[in-house]
Amino acid sequence: MELNINGTVKTVDVEESMPLLWVLRDELNMTGTKYGCGVSACGACSCLIDGVATRTCTLPASAAVGKTIKTIEAIASDGNLSAVQKAWIQHQVPQCGYCQSGQIIAAEGLLDKTPNPTDDDIDTAMTNICRCGTYQRVREAIHTAAKWRQEENSLLG
Amino acid sequence: MADQRNKSEYVQEGKSKKRSTLGKWTRRGFIGVGGLAGVGLLVGIGGNAFLNKKVRKYSGLGMGEGDSMNAWIRIAPDNTITVAVPRAEMGQGVYTSLPQLIAEELNVEMSSIKVIHPQPEAPYSNTFMLTQEEPNAFKGYSMMEKILASMPLIATGGSTSIPDGFTNLRYAGATAREMLKAAAAEKWGIDVKDCRSEKGHIINSGNNEKLTYGQLAEAAATINLDGLPELKKKEDWTIIGKPVQRLDIPEKVTGSATFGLDVRLDDMKYAVIRHPSTIGGKITSIKNKEDIEGRAGIEKVVLTEFGAAVIANNTWRAKNGALALRFEEDDAGNGGINSTQISTELTDILDKDPIATPVDTGDVAAILSDDKNQVIEATYEVPYLAHAAMEPLNCTVLVDSESAEAWVGHQGSSIVQNMVNEITGLPKANIKVNTTYLGGGFGRRAEPDFIRKAAAVAKEMPGVPVQTVFTREEDMQNDMYRPAAKSRFKAVVESSGEIAAWDNMMALQSVSNSAIGRIMPAMAPSPAKDEATIEGAANLPYIMKNQRVAFGNHDIPIQVGFWRSVGSSQNAFFTECFMDECAHAAGKDPFEFRQSKLANHPRFKAVLEKAAALGNWGAQDGKFRGIALHKSFGSIVGQVATLSKVGDKSFKIDHFSCVIDCGMHVNPDTVEAQMEGGIVFGLTAALHGEITWDDGSVNELNFPQYDMVRMNVSPKVDVHIMDNEFYPGGVGEPGTPPAAPALCNALFAATGERVRRLPIIKQGYTFS
Repeated sequence: MELNINGTVKTVDVEESMPLLWVLRDELNMTGTKYGCGVSACGACSCLIDGVATRTCTLPASAAVGKTIKTIEAIASDGNLSAVQKAWIQHQVPQCGYCQSGQIIAAEGLLDKTPNPTDDDIDTAMTNICRCGTYQRVREAIHTAAKWRQEENSLLG
Repeated sequence: MADQRNKSEYVQEGKSKKRSTLGKWTRRGFIGVGGLAGVGLLVGIGGNAFLNKKVRKYSGLGMGEGDSMNAWIRIAPDNTITVAVPRAEMGQGVYTSLPQLIAEELNVEMSSIKVIHPQPEAPYSNTFMLTQEEPNAFKGYSMMEKILASMPLIATGGSTSIPDGFTNLRYAGATAREMLKAAAAEKWGIDVKDCRSEKGHIINSGNNEKLTYGQLAEAAATINLDGLPELKKKEDWTIIGKPVQRLDIPEKVTGSATFGLDVRLDDMKYAVIRHPSTIGGKITSIKNKEDIEGRAGIEKVVLTEFGAAVIANNTWRAKNGALALRFEEDDAGNGGINSTQISTELTDILDKDPIATPVDTGDVAAILSDDKNQVIEATYEVPYLAHAAMEPLNCTVLVDSESAEAWVGHQGSSIVQNMVNEITGLPKANIKVNTTYLGGGFGRRAEPDFIRKAAAVAKEMPGVPVQTVFTREEDMQNDMYRPAAKSRFKAVVESSGEIAAWDNMMALQSVSNSAIGRIMPAMAPSPAKDEATIEGAANLPYIMKNQRVAFGNHDIPIQVGFWRSVGSSQNAFFTECFMDECAHAAGKDPFEFRQSKLANHPRFKAVLEKAAALGNWGAQDGKFRGIALHKSFGSIVGQVATLSKVGDKSFKIDHFSCVIDCGMHVNPDTVEAQMEGGIVFGLTAALHGEITWDDGSVNELNFPQYDMVRMNVSPKVDVHIMDNEFYPGGVGEPGTPPAAPALCNALFAATGERVRRLPIIKQGYTFS
């Protein structure tokens, strides 16, 4: 099947039912997207599918055919970190870091839809598990990223 | 910052270079040096054990180009400073904090440092973990330290990385600096007193001529110093004690950081393991081996002494194959173990004579049996807990005829080497350990089981690297759990508020006996001598006129292990909630009640008072507060939880105010992060955590049954770090213990109902 991943069409020869997570990790060696639970409960495997943060450990790869798939590897463009990634560094968010690919994807998805989220918006959108407990910094970093994105937009506009 | 573990070095653009691409050194070099480390080092240990050329033989493996100043520092001609961090990075920040100690004394910028995780060699032994005494390899080791360094435990845990490295690594930096100065002085023909070091250069104070460290490294490496240099004073620090940005974070926001499960090697296969369905049981045969081996992508189905595994060309195919396996099993007689029985047995133990009474001052029995005294009595209970690190357990192993190599995120590189040696029979000198980032450790990744299991699977595919993974379900159901425990208190509190008697009897399995027995059986303490059982219960700071702390041992074949903050994880909940009960029984304010009993411990008193101030203790704002104070791993932590009531038994955890006295600290931002995370870890256990047993196996499978605190429940946390010059304590664990009692004490303030059993949500409470 053909998958549009980070702007490139990749051809993979896998079972229709193989979850996208394992196609990325084991067939394409794109290991930024993580396996955490396998039952869509933790969010470590999140990718942006047509712009929406989606848990890929239960999403058959065949269901992503014809859609755009964006993984953590493509959140920075041409070596430039996104506002969310920069805010993650500014607030020193990650501890072990294992869940952070999924947290960043969820935050990108949230800010694309809700550019200036309230704390309630963040509570609703950010349901990923962080076992290290970095939630406070994730929240602060999302508010900072929202501000930076708006500043970028006003400069561009 | 990139390090030796970059993916490009595992898989070089599809070319087959897997066995020689890690580091610049060759396999032969490794074997030769590893052999020396085992024999020759014993001679060298003593004063100035790991300085300069004598130990260049034993250090610097995998550290790239350049010259070693000692086992921790290598300087390349291009001025790159490679620092060996022998502790595992599992989120607690050692990848940055340990280099900070070196950079401060070496006078280099953090940006010039490249970090590697070295092979498990003697200089990197964590002697503090075993002696609890400040080690200094540069001054010379004590006899016990010499013994420990000769069979080194290169391990990360017990919140010991900073206490172990604080002096040692500053001397590593300072001696290297002095060697560079001496080399410059020799080159310029001047007195070393006329040389100074600054930002990676040695400067001739007479004419301001400069040489870079890279230009001097080769000459410096051959210099033997007379005596030890002076360390900088605290007031002169510019890197230690500062919120230096973590070196590992940039690659953790781009998905490029390599965790164990991200290791990719040419021709690598993926294995998914299945454990026996009963604790302590055994899979005796696989009924459908041929059927599964006939499936697409499956390489092999293997049965090892630890369980079965399906090896495939992709994790998902291996997982599906593993799930479809059908077994004959022997339950080892454990098929009846269940939670009801466990709870009954724990109560029975409370009623029996203890196996040890580590605290017995005054005459508790006389006070309790005096009819004139009113005895306050309560029994508390906590369940088994899983570690549930975000990265499911995994280990990649390549077994060849003469050598083996492991790629794994593990808390102990020496444990990895020992376990691969045990399973393969290959000499340790021929076993290379590549330490990746850990997707959470919390004590689980100090266990040897998953290394043994992965090595046993890989041994079935000689010459092929095999990545063995536990599914989330296998991870949760085959943990080494925090034990279930019961704790019974009896106390008499005088009308003045003084504690006349405090009697505490506990019942639980021995963690140290179980866990150390799996790693170093000869060193495992008997249950009666297990310090982990009583930590946080027997060392209370409060003045008590008569006190007894005793425990009995729960003997059951469930494997228990070190779980972030260990004995304190339950004992802080028990003791600090019962202190609250005593305060209320005496009609005293819980903060003032504690404060009045800390005259002998000014550091505790200062932490408690600061926590109360930070948490607005006593504020009349319609909120409910609980306070807790606890020392663990050398650091004192006080917390105030602030709750809002949103409905009947329904609450919002608004805030945690947290004060820590960890002595001198290296990176304040990391200390804060560990407090923030430690509180969430403690709240997850308090609110949700429970592993239950039926028919000899665990009921909980995955996060839907073993839930975690998430963003919506996570409180705002404020942290204050006390400023003093005491020797550092740990910070990875001490944030966790006070969270549950602070929360439960606040719930009591709100409801008048005392929570004596965790988890809280199973008592009808909800949180939002």
